[in-house]
Amino acid sequence: MSAFVSSPLFRRISKVPPSYYLLAALLVILFVARPQMLNANVLGVFVRQVVPLGILVLGQLLVMRVKSIDLSGGGIILLINYCISSGIFPGASLGFYVALALATGLAIGLFNGLMVAKRRVSAVIVTLALSIVLVGFVQYLSSGKPPGDVPKIFGELFNTRFIGLPSPVLFWIALTALMALLLSQTVFGRFVAAVGESMPAAHFSGVPVERTVILAHTLAGLMAALAALVQTASIAVGSVRVGLDLPILSVAATILGGVVFGRGEGGVWGPFFGVLCFAFLFVVMTMFGVGDAGKLVAQGLIILLAAIFYGLRAGK
Amino acid sequence: MSHLIEMSGISKAFGGSVALRDVSLALAPGTVHALMGENGAGKSTLMKILAGVHQPDSGEIRRAGRPVAFANPRAALEAGISTVFQELSLLPNMTIAENMFLGREPAGRLGGIDRRRMRQETKGALARLGLTLDPDMLVSELSIAERQFVEIAHGIDADADVFILDEPTAALNAADVEILNRHIRALRDAGKAIVYISHRMDEIFAICDVVTVLKDGQRVGTKPLAEMTPASLIAMMVGRELQDLFPERGEGTGVAALSVSGLRLDAAARPFSFTVEKGEIVGFAGLEGQGQQKALRALVGQFAPVEGVVSRRGKTIRLPVAKESGVRHWQALGGAFVPEDRKDEGLFLGHSVGQNIVAALHAGRPALKAARRYGTVIAETMRRLNIKASGPSAPVGALSGGNQQKVLLGRYLATDADLLLIEEPTRGVDVGAKAEIYRILRDFAEAGGAVLVLSRETVELIGLCDRLYVIHGNTVVSEMRARDATEHGILDAALSA
Amino acid sequence: MNPSSSSLFGKLLAGRGSRQGLWLLPLVIALAMALWLAAATSQFGQWSNLANLVAQGMPLLITAVGQMFVVLVGGLDLSIGSVVSFTTAILALDLPGVITLPGVFLLAALIGATNGYCITRLNVHPIVATLSMQYVVLGITRVLRPVSGGAVPDGVRWMVEGTFLGLPLPVFWGIATILLAWKLLYGSRYGLHLFAIGGGVASGSSDAARNFGIPASRNIMLAYVICSLFAALAGVFLAGRIVSGDPNVGLLMELDAITAVAIGGTQLSGGVGSLHGTIIGVAVLALLSNGMNLLNVTPFVQTAVKGVLLLAVVALQSRKKIGL
Repeated sequence: MSAFVSSPLFRRISKVPPSYYLLAALLVILFVARPQMLNANVLGVFVRQVVPLGILVLGQLLVMRVKSIDLSGGGIILLINYCISSGIFPGASLGFYVALALATGLAIGLFNGLMVAKRRVSAVIVTLALSIVLVGFVQYLSSGKPPGDVPKIFGELFNTRFIGLPSPVLFWIALTALMALLLSQTVFGRFVAAVGESMPAAHFSGVPVERTVILAHTLAGLMAALAALVQTASIAVGSVRVGLDLPILSVAATILGGVVFGRGEGGVWGPFFGVLCFAFLFVVMTMFGVGDAGKLVAQGLIILLAAIFYGLRAGK
Repeated sequence: MSHLIEMSGISKAFGGSVALRDVSLALAPGTVHALMGENGAGKSTLMKILAGVHQPDSGEIRRAGRPVAFANPRAALEAGISTVFQELSLLPNMTIAENMFLGREPAGRLGGIDRRRMRQETKGALARLGLTLDPDMLVSELSIAERQFVEIAHGIDADADVFILDEPTAALNAADVEILNRHIRALRDAGKAIVYISHRMDEIFAICDVVTVLKDGQRVGTKPLAEMTPASLIAMMVGRELQDLFPERGEGTGVAALSVSGLRLDAAARPFSFTVEKGEIVGFAGLEGQGQQKALRALVGQFAPVEGVVSRRGKTIRLPVAKESGVRHWQALGGAFVPEDRKDEGLFLGHSVGQNIVAALHAGRPALKAARRYGTVIAETMRRLNIKASGPSAPVGALSGGNQQKVLLGRYLATDADLLLIEEPTRGVDVGAKAEIYRILRDFAEAGGAVLVLSRETVELIGLCDRLYVIHGNTVVSEMRARDATEHGILDAALSA
Repeated sequence: MNPSSSSLFGKLLAGRGSRQGLWLLPLVIALAMALWLAAATSQFGQWSNLANLVAQGMPLLITAVGQMFVVLVGGLDLSIGSVVSFTTAILALDLPGVITLPGVFLLAALIGATNGYCITRLNVHPIVATLSMQYVVLGITRVLRPVSGGAVPDGVRWMVEGTFLGLPLPVFWGIATILLAWKLLYGSRYGLHLFAIGGGVASGSSDAARNFGIPASRNIMLAYVICSLFAALAGVFLAGRIVSGDPNVGLLMELDAITAVAIGGTQLSGGVGSLHGTIIGVAVLALLSNGMNLLNVTPFVQTAVKGVLLLAVVALQSRKKIGL
């Protein structure tokens, strides 16, 4: 094993994020098994399903690059979904809901950031506990029963297309491009890289370490809010279960895309392809008759294998 | 004559940098063997190999004539080699007795541990050193001196006959040093071999019998101390006349770049003041750990003093300043702070030379502005500081110690700072790079900058600086011109205060 | 009170001067809760409620004690909830108990060993390793038993529902768990070494214990095995109580276990903590659940309250590190 890990071949292979290989393999399988599925319309529908995940990943990759993690996305999505679908704000406009969602995401992200950077609490525990609190809160408000319907405007927006592509997918690509610009072109992007590589060295270079971590978490909260809006639009009804597995999937897609705690070789597009992998993975698995349980196993194994892949490399 | 330990032809490299090259060392029973050399000469690496922390790349260790290899410190201790390291190796959350017996606990009933025996034997071992500490006390509750005595007791209890003391007096006060020396003499008279690493000449001459000098990972020589003088020992360590290493001294311009007044490092310490003028290099000298680093770090919020007032560029700052923002505020006032620990606090080892050089430049700008490329800054810094790397994109972790140190220095010189606080400017770099770094610092001062430096190497401070403050007991006890200063004079000033 | 005993009390209260962590304050809280519940409700002190309290708190006690072993070395095991569900699913298979009962412990040991191997040898972060294990095991459990059902062997049921010496059997499960954990932690060199390894990890020198000749990797791996085995034990207990296999019975149990361990003063950074602290932490959580049940608070609020409690407890544990 160690001989393989230190071989030039492994080093060259490990430069490219695993998501690229996996996506290529999945497309080949699809092509061989169901060639008729490989057209823009069908693929567009598959990809549209994973847009909430894709947006959540944009936040996840940010916090993971500063050696943190955000598992509160599930709670945020559930809370925002409840606010929109339960009718507690009768007659509210789309703009109001968007503002409400963004404010919620901002507040929760900021709270996470302050707890992690200022109080120095373990990010896993804080964000997981917060998610539990939010889930409990929503279930209490709804007494465990699904709330009502989502205003029609959400579904209508969700189903629009631009230049042949579903608009949610375009929205996702645009957000991803924005995040890529933020990380590659701004001073903040440099701060993120510095904090991820070494917090003490960043501190002694004058980088505002705590503020960078707080900002990363706040942005992650905002991304979760956007993901919640898209997710709510996609299912069109309220739910008390929606989005609960998204945080962990977002960690998986991020690791698969070559971004691990403190390091970001995969950039923003590696995780982007990681999300696409999940889109096609579930299609392929359904195609071969693998049920939800099998998908859970696959998710777990993918995270573990990707983490082992990077663990072995870091150990060398 | 039979040696307890013979190390021969030991070589060791870490990554690309060679730490030891073909070094030999023999330890005779009943001697105290001084191991001397500048920081980074390889003393600690050699001792860590003997203690089983590192394994040599080549070479042989003989224990009473038989070749041995130690996989870990436990194996070395079982072979009778006990070590008191600079960075303490006791576990803070365990009691004294548990630390003494960790890894070799006596078996009790039903597969348990015989705690009573551990306690009694610990008490006995401590008593032999004249200590009356409770064996059930956690190590985290002990003073640093007490921890070192516990480590020595640990060795005695394990029946060691070779003791390695790596800068044992660094954090001790005079009274504790005297107690330690008594213990060392007792060990020597009992026929043990002691390796003693220290920067303090007076101690070396007071207690050691033989000295081995290392330089740049190689052995310069081994001599009885009776044949040496402090001056000849220093010449042996530095390898050339000191004057050649240091650039011409400068002169302050009379304009203060920094003045600090009423700085009280702890509640019991006397407040003190100091100034650094434009154009001069000022050093904090004295015995190690007497408050030099605290005074320096207080300026950038990395140590919280009781009180103090800093005046800088017409602004007045009250200490303590916030830890998180201290470095940034210091940089905003045109200052720079170069931390001591290049690997842990200084460099982004996985990042490129270029990224490391511009880190502080980026940090001085708002987070949401577009990042500048700084291509010319990087090229200019690499040229001016003579940084040898395959290019700006070479990973900094692959460079030699000297080049790494220059990259670190370059990061802060690339900002338009005119006041440099620098800790251990030449730790772990070779003599050539040392001279270059001294030259860089002097050029900086001559261009109107001001430098405040602290170093464990008193020789370095005397040679590099224009003015020295001697710090002892968390306060300034003396101020002297560096050209008139001697190691002995500084020691005198520190200890007679 | 003389000065020396008051300073001893102060030290205990602050959790300093020992590596047991801050356990006195939670003990006071637990006692206050019990007293208040006894005063506020008539049912609390009744024999049936107390027996119920013990039986309900038992899975938490067993899993929390197991979790404590990995927390002491600065780790975390998020897979135990899945292991609990998995165990009930195996026991509810249509197989004789002589096969399934040893089988669940064997499989749990295998899961723990895999966790430990990935963490110590393959350099995977404990959270990532055990989180993915949580998914893998949960997936397998749902394959075996998509919804709750099946029947567990009668023997298992009897071990939980029976009485002995006039006391309900769960009491003896508790005693056995505590004795076993006590032996491992305080009555063996292994336990001492766990504290040593954790102390090194917490003070930032993960090689410190290795320098004393302690095989740290092997000991850490064993801690994950122990944690998994305790989770399987909790699974057997639960299977006996619900008399069926349930893929969701262990849901979020890992977080309750971490909450209990943290309430009991064990530092999540490693090296500081105690068995009695963990027991006290379990008591606080069990009393909270029991009290809210007696006061007819809906289970959804209970979830939220536990989350808030976990947040509060970890926010009070200061550490240096930012992030995970």
